[in-house]
Amino acid sequence: MSQPLPQRYGAIAQAGHWLTLLLVIGAFALGWIMSDMKMSPTRLKLFSYHKWIGVTIFGIAVLRLLWRQWAKAPPLPPAMPAWERIGAHLSHWGLYALLLAIPLSGWLMSSAKGFQTVYLGHFPIPDLIGRDRELGKLLEDVHELLTTILLFVVGLHAAAALKHHFFNRDDVLTRMLPRWRKTGDAS
Amino acid sequence: MKLFTAVLLSLAAVSAQATPRTVDTARSDISFSVKQMGVAVEGRFKRFEAQVNFDPAKPETSSAALSVDIASIDAGSDEADSTAAERAWLDKAGFPKATFKSSSVRATGPGKYEAKGLLTIKGKPREITVPFRATDQASGATLLSGQFSIRRTDFGVGGGEWNEGDLVSNDVPVTFQLLLAPAK
Ligand code: HEM
Repeated sequence: MSQPLPQRYGAIAQAGHWLTLLLVIGAFALGWIMSDMKMSPTRLKLFSYHKWIGVTIFGIAVLRLLWRQWAKAPPLPPAMPAWERIGAHLSHWGLYALLLAIPLSGWLMSSAKGFQTVYLGHFPIPDLIGRDRELGKLLEDVHELLTTILLFVVGLHAAAALKHHFFNRDDVLTRMLPRWRKTGDAS
Repeated sequence: MKLFTAVLLSLAAVSAQATPRTVDTARSDISFSVKQMGVAVEGRFKRFEAQVNFDPAKPETSSAALSVDIASIDAGSDEADSTAAERAWLDKAGFPKATFKSSSVRATGPGKYEAKGLLTIKGKPREITVPFRATDQASGATLLSGQFSIRRTDFGVGGGEWNEGDLVSNDVPVTFQLLLAPAK
């Protein structure tokens, strides 16, 4: 168990990370659009797609956390001050927590509102809680609040990544990016 | 003489009616389920009136008339309720009540019956057949329960864009439970 820590994120960790970013953007955009729409068949479809994306985000987050036990994350640059290390760890774990908590709150909200979540229209996810109007409203607020927090933490997180790249000129950003071929052939 | 027979006959018809039984609506239930995107959404009506005459010994003399208050729909969330009340769906404003009036009742087995009658939703009457069971409760009350399925498009419920593809199922199963107070 005394393998040296890797210097970069592996392909799977990277794929999980950037796929999550795409899915979060998709879920957020759908959530935004559908919440202001008038009821229509399109809206019901968007609701379903939003839920499916949410379930996928949750699944990927679980897989990433499991994978992370195996393929350890590279250590932070030694030059980083303690407060930045703490901040990096807090925000990474906070992001994972939100990636789990937001879909969870959405799933519970859906149950409380009487709509079971059926993944991809075929795989019913059991309702953990029964129908409850007040709880449904509360969970809706929780879902929105957590999403707002996610938006904020992601902003901070992306700003930190860019700061590392352009100010500290370390490899924090590039180690989460695929290594482009030196020949310039990106295919 | 003719008039006399007519009066006699109608009197006989009246006395042949099963005795009316009070329906305990608080402990009765009328619910339905609609499937959208493969997801069944349950709903119920919290207010309805029911006049039921039921005599298990002479089922043919039984009859039922129900009137359901569309505004009392509970589809789980404010949003689902208001959607259901819109014109395209149940049109609460245009047709505040859905009604059922039986035309005949017959026994189909021990404790099993079948009512035929007219179901009117959104002003559109349709002949339906409702199988139901009657079970005696310890209190002397009788529970009538059954299930039938309607096609929402028969009643013009959810037209236009809602009928494209199979986003929202056409078949809507309805279940009901009517608790009849003990016969007097
Ligand atoms: C929805 C949006 C995002 C979420 C939920 C998210 C989440 C995460 C998480 C949980 C980690 C920790 C990975 C681990 O150690 O297991 C991480 C790492 C990282 N993320 Fe993001 N991220 C998002 C968007 C972004 C964006 C937009 C950027 C770049 C501008 C970015 C750059 C990075 C980098 C560079 C790392 C590696 C940090 C290190 O080397 O320690 N992320 N991200």
